[in-house]
Amino acid sequence: MIHKYKKNGLNIVLDVNSDSIHIVDDVVFDLLDFYPENKDDGINDLSNKYSREVIDEAVQEVDFLINQEQLFTKNYSSDAFNVYNEPVIKAMCLHVAHDCNIRCKYCFASQGDFKRLRSIMSLEVGKKSLLYLAKNSGNHYNLEVDFFGGEPLLNFEVVKELVHYGRSIEKEYNKNFRFTITTNGLLLNEEINAFLNEHMDNVVLSIDGRPEVNDELRVFSDGSGTYDKIIPKYDELIQSREGLYYVRGTFTKFNLDFSQDIFHLADLGYESLSVEPVVTDPSNDYALVAEDLEKIFYEYDLIAEEYINRKLKNKDNLFNFFHFNIDMDNSPCFLKKVRGCGAGLEYIAVTPKGDIYPCHQFVEKEEFVMGNVFEGITKPSVIEPFEKSTILTKEGCSDCWAKYYCSGGCHANAYNMNGDLNKPYNLECQMQRKRIENAIYIKGRLALEVTDD
Amino acid sequence: MKHVKTIKVGSNHKISSTSGCGECQTSCQSACKTSCTVGNQGCEQN
Repeated sequence: MIHKYKKNGLNIVLDVNSDSIHIVDDVVFDLLDFYPENKDDGINDLSNKYSREVIDEAVQEVDFLINQEQLFTKNYSSDAFNVYNEPVIKAMCLHVAHDCNIRCKYCFASQGDFKRLRSIMSLEVGKKSLLYLAKNSGNHYNLEVDFFGGEPLLNFEVVKELVHYGRSIEKEYNKNFRFTITTNGLLLNEEINAFLNEHMDNVVLSIDGRPEVNDELRVFSDGSGTYDKIIPKYDELIQSREGLYYVRGTFTKFNLDFSQDIFHLADLGYESLSVEPVVTDPSNDYALVAEDLEKIFYEYDLIAEEYINRKLKNKDNLFNFFHFNIDMDNSPCFLKKVRGCGAGLEYIAVTPKGDIYPCHQFVEKEEFVMGNVFEGITKPSVIEPFEKSTILTKEGCSDCWAKYYCSGGCHANAYNMNGDLNKPYNLECQMQRKRIENAIYIKGRLALEVTDD
Repeated sequence: MKHVKTIKVGSNHKISSTSGCGECQTSCQSACKTSCTVGNQGCEQN
């Protein structure tokens, strides 16, 4: 299977199964319409458009790439997908606070409390959680723990203690904890910044972009906006930080021109950016619907062009956009691409009282409780559907060219929107494909620019 | 080649002893928390 498309003068061809990517001229682009079954028809048809000599050259190059397994590579047999004999946990989303100091209107966690009474995680539950991860992660050396909420900094003392506790058990269990935190930034101060800079591998900072956009949905309980309070906090942290960070926003129907939010954040000097589409019930006035896709695609195109423009012209305020960061030289292995997010298998979420869920987006959906950190997995039947859900079982994935980039998409989105892990959320699929096309296009443009120099 | 410039030689078919080691980042822990993109999670073995 191949996927080919034209974009701003580039003819791009992705060989889906091998993951090879080629930039081709018009003759090869046209010829590929006939390959592999109708090659001879193609040669005849195209002789009205190109000289025979040029067509023969193109045929030779296409045949060479097929021989090299870089074009029309065969589908893998289903055996290649049987990779889950013994699921081993390696990453934990630790919900240290089911409470929040702001009231984002689109919050999937129901303004931080996950539809329950507000609660925070005790040090005891936190320690049990880290111990559970250390003991049940097999031979994995690197373990990821994301301090999440609600707002995790509402429980900063426990976060601090847990980091120290994690470090204290690393040697005994031969593990390396990689801690991250996802915060709305309001409680950041000099002391917390110093701690995060010393101990957190990544810090995810939430804000939606332009002041009027952010303040429409990210508000305090009195309805006032959070932008003016957050920005100085982020400035201070980012200026003092050498490690990884992401400034992360959500776009909704209210800011379909979200490229402007990306550029706004970039122009504030924030370099690592991620702006995600809201996923919510279509009855909400801020929900994204199919009719919005044309505009959303246009925005992703704008972001791609500006990304290239700033990069090539060495402009100030360069930025990287999370979904365009495809690694060309160091791709994840095939098994990783098949496994996808690993929810319920490699990745779990733990609530303040210690209940285990397949991921943060399933938290407080009672039917998805897998167990708890005191007793372990008590309901293996909850895990089973996650184990069985791969790009082979998900509706539409087998025939999709993007399957090895998104690995079937987000389980939670599939379940929340379609009630079935195996029915991917179509809007997500379409946006994902658009982002991947742009990500590859960017790599192509930059690669050609280097060659031309 | 005159008509093709390969910008990435794919390696999906190369399965080694370290394939699937799981030492790489979990996609949802990085920045998105709502969508699954594994294409940008680099391999830890290189």
